[in-house]
This record gives sequence, structure tokens and C-alpha cells, in this order.
Amino acid sequence: MNYFLHIAVMINIYIILTLGLNLLVGYSNLLSISHAAFYGIGAYLSVLALVVLKLPLTLAIAIAVIGTAILAYVIGKVSIRLKGDYFVLVTLGFQMIVFAILYNWVSVTRGPYGIPGIPAPKLLGLFEISGINGFLILSSILVTMIIIIYYRIIHSPFGRILKGIRDDEIGVLALGRDVATFKTHAFVIGSAIAAVSGFLFATYVRYIDPTSFTLDESIFIVSAVLIGGSGTIKGSVAGAVFVVVLPEALRFLGMPDSIAANMRQVIYGLLLVILMMFRPKGIWGDYEIQ
Amino acid sequence: MLIQLLINGLVKGALIALAGLAFALYYNTTRIFHIAFAGLYTLACFFFFSFFHHFQQQWLPAFLLTAIAIMLAGALLEITVYQPLSKRQSSLNVILIASIGMMIVIINLIAMLYGNEVKVVVSGIADSFEIGNVIITFPQLWQFVISILAIIATLVFLKLTRWGKNIRAIRDDQSLAMAMGINIWKTRITLLATSAFLAALPAILVSVDVGLDPYVGMPVLLSAVVALIIGGVGRFEGPVLGGFLLGILQALVVWKFSTRWVEAITFGVLIVFLVCRPQGILGRQKREV
Repeated sequence: MNYFLHIAVMINIYIILTLGLNLLVGYSNLLSISHAAFYGIGAYLSVLALVVLKLPLTLAIAIAVIGTAILAYVIGKVSIRLKGDYFVLVTLGFQMIVFAILYNWVSVTRGPYGIPGIPAPKLLGLFEISGINGFLILSSILVTMIIIIYYRIIHSPFGRILKGIRDDEIGVLALGRDVATFKTHAFVIGSAIAAVSGFLFATYVRYIDPTSFTLDESIFIVSAVLIGGSGTIKGSVAGAVFVVVLPEALRFLGMPDSIAANMRQVIYGLLLVILMMFRPKGIWGDYEIQ
Repeated sequence: MLIQLLINGLVKGALIALAGLAFALYYNTTRIFHIAFAGLYTLACFFFFSFFHHFQQQWLPAFLLTAIAIMLAGALLEITVYQPLSKRQSSLNVILIASIGMMIVIINLIAMLYGNEVKVVVSGIADSFEIGNVIITFPQLWQFVISILAIIATLVFLKLTRWGKNIRAIRDDQSLAMAMGINIWKTRITLLATSAFLAALPAILVSVDVGLDPYVGMPVLLSAVVALIIGGVGRFEGPVLGGFLLGILQALVVWKFSTRWVEAITFGVLIVFLVCRPQGILGRQKREV
């Protein structure tokens, strides 16, 4: 039973990640391969808030999200005007730099040794959230909150303009909207959402190290968004469920552990290629990336 | 110490320049961000590994077969993935994602077949010679010489042959090239095959020196991309210049700071270029719609 609850928590963590990235990829046409970097920054900032500053749960999440948002704003401001490939390359560069700093600045982040013994977060300073049931409830509440916020965002005038920018950027420019600012805001919001996942991951697993936040992880989250479907909430949820459940399902099919990880990757890779060829929108998406 | 590091940097730079040129050959012409390059690079390493052992350590048959195999692999990739997507006018990002998918498939198939650990082609410490205080190993010498020769040969080919002219025509204006009667689909197949062959050269040279594992491709791709951006997109000399500059820059970073910051500074330089001078040193500033 605990096994299924664990999978549920991981699904929740990944739903938050895919929702954040979907705001970039599916609603703003910003292909970003730096999402894992923001995920990681959120995780490390959460640890800073919980361990060094000894803050309760809500403040810790706030610190993580705000810190990540500031960083995202800096990167976004600088790179949002770049076209196509160049924007992807800036996010690539940022991802690599963040990983390098997390890995090598050992005095601050403990580098490859990682940070063990992350304490359980305290809600209102009183109730400690730990154990699988606690995290299932916490993560589900956070997912629900984020989905509600997300829904309000994309159905607001801001969201409509984003969709307009995605579908016809020059048209929206011609209507007099400041496209760069909208995209920057979307970039900041989407990346800041990843910080919530970082918080959940850090407090659930109670150990973080830089190898969870690599370029491969960024590509993995992008795959999750594209497979599930870009441009819809249910697409992101589907994508997260798929990428978390697939390796577990493979395990039950009796695949030996030595090749299981590689086989899983082969399946993702093939799925990506096949989807791009025949259904670039993804399974439940409504937007084909440009 | 600095001279030794700079010599090492020059050798690395030559390898990066060649890899960058191989990548740019396809990217400049088709604008497709061919991430599967990392997969082809890895494939070349493992082809050579297998053939080398099959032919009892004789490098010539191993090299020839690897060259043929990797060119076929490149052609296959073009025919099965890139061309169908291009023909149905998929956007460049869609093709990029498909390329990522292919890279993941290739690298993990290799890992499944060969295992994830590092393999060795030639064991033992390499022979070296000394010039003054500087030690140069023979693998380094081969890497430098062959890279330079391959780069020169490719640039000459691009300038002087009809095939090279076709490539440059497609790069400049694809529809016009098609209208002028150039068969871009056939040309793209030989193009990707050539790019794969050129990528195989540093692949073989480096795996013979330091060994190989299924994950060597990505760092090479990243270096090639940085070299391309620094040196200049759109011109084939760009990545060559970028590669050498990058090699020397990395040597200087090691000298001034330490190896742990090489990657961070490399990508920092990339971002600076992307923001301030995206066309690179040699590139021409273009107005994009």
C-alpha cells in the first residue's frame, strides 16, 4: 500500500513540474530546458529556509518560490527576446551553470555529498509533516492549489494574451501588447512553480544532491509535458502520471533491473520521435509547438 | 605549466573545432538543431570499439568499417526522421524534440547492449615525447594533426566542389536552391552522412586515448554548440575558430582557477555571446522575422 502512496506523491511532485513547464512550452511557446535547474534551486532554497533559517512550512515554500522567481526574472529579462534556437541555448547554458554551481560550490551546497537529514516541515510551526500519509496529503493539497491558480491564470486576460502570443506573436505585437513582458512574466511564474516541487522533493526524500537536477532531468520534464500534451492542464497531469508510472509498470513486466532504466529511456525516446512525427500535440494536448 | 596547459588546450580545441564543424555542417544548412549528433558520436565510438576488437587490434579495417557504418547511420537518421519531418513542414522545435528522442534511443540502446561502464580500447599509458618542458602524447599528436587535416579538407571541399556549392546554396536560401534544380533531399542525405563521418573522427581519436562509455556524446555536443555560437553561426569557419578559442579558454580557466569551473565558465561565455553577440565572432548580423 505504501508503494502506491509513494507513487502518488511522486506523481504529485511531477504534476507540479509539468504544469510549470507547460506554462512555458504550451502557453507561451518558450521551449525551456532549464526547468530542472529551477526545481533544484527551489529544493536548495527550501533546505536553506528549513535548516538555516528554521522557518515553518509556508514561509519555507515562500522563500523557495520567491528566490526562484527572482532568478527566473533575471534570466528571462535577458533572454526572452532571443529567437527560437538561441532562447533554448540560453536555457541550456543556465541549466549547465546552475548544475555546475550546485555541484562545485561545496562550501555552500555540499556539492556531490548532498544534504542529508532535511527536517520535516512544520505547518504553522506546530504540526510536523512527515511520513507517507502526511506527504500524500500535503502534496495533494499543493497540487490542487496550483491547479486552481493555474486554471485562473490561463483563463484570465493574461492567459488569453499568452495564448495569442503563442499562436501569432506578431499579431499580438501589432495589437500593441508588450509581448516581451508577458513572456517574461510567464517564464517567471512557470519556473517559480517548479520551486514548489523542489520543496516537496527535498522534504519528502529528506536528502538532495545536484544529480537530481541535471540537464537530463530537464529533458525528462520536457518529455513529460510533450507526451502528455502541451497546452492543457489534463495534458500535464497525464504526462506526469505517464512518466512516473511507466518505470514501475516495466518493473512488473519482469524486466531485469540492469537494463530497466535504459529500456525506459528507449521507450521515452521512441515515444517522443513518434509523437513528433504523428501527433506533436501530445496525447491530450491542444497545441503543437512551433 | 601555462605552456603545457595551452598546448593541451590547442589539442582539445582542434577536436572541438572538428566536432563543431561536423555539427555546423548540418545545422547551418538545414537549421535543424541536430541533437542526435551526440548519439551518432557515441555510436561511432562503439562501432570502432567493436570493430577494433573484432579485427584483433588492427586500426585500418576498424576505421574503414566504422566510417562506412557511421555514414550509413547518418543517412538512415536523415531518411527516417529528419526528411519526413521536414517534408511535412514541421517546425524546427518539433524536429529538435524528435532529434532529442533519437539521441535518447541511440544512447540507451548502446548502454543496453554494451553496458554502462567505461570501456577501454587500448590499455596502458600512452607514449609521449618532450619538447622543452612540454610533454605531448602521441594520441594528442594524432588528434591534433588529423583534426587539422580534416578541417582543412572539409573547408576546401565546401569552397571548391560542386557539392560544397550546393550545400552553401541550401544554406543561403533553400527554396531558391530547390528552384535552381538542386535536389536538396539527396544532398541532405550525403550531408548528414558526411557530418557523421566528421564526428566519428574525434570520436575514434578520443576513445582510443581515454576510453569510451555511452554518455560521452553529450559533453562533446555541448562543446561543439558553444564553439559554433562563439565562432559564428552561418559560416563554416565559425565553429573552427570557436573550437580553438574554446580550447584555449578552457586551458586558461584551468590555469587561473581550477578544472571544476571550466564548465560553468564555458556556459557563462555562451550566455554572454547569446545575449550580446548571438551571431558570434565571424557571423553576419541577420534580421530575422
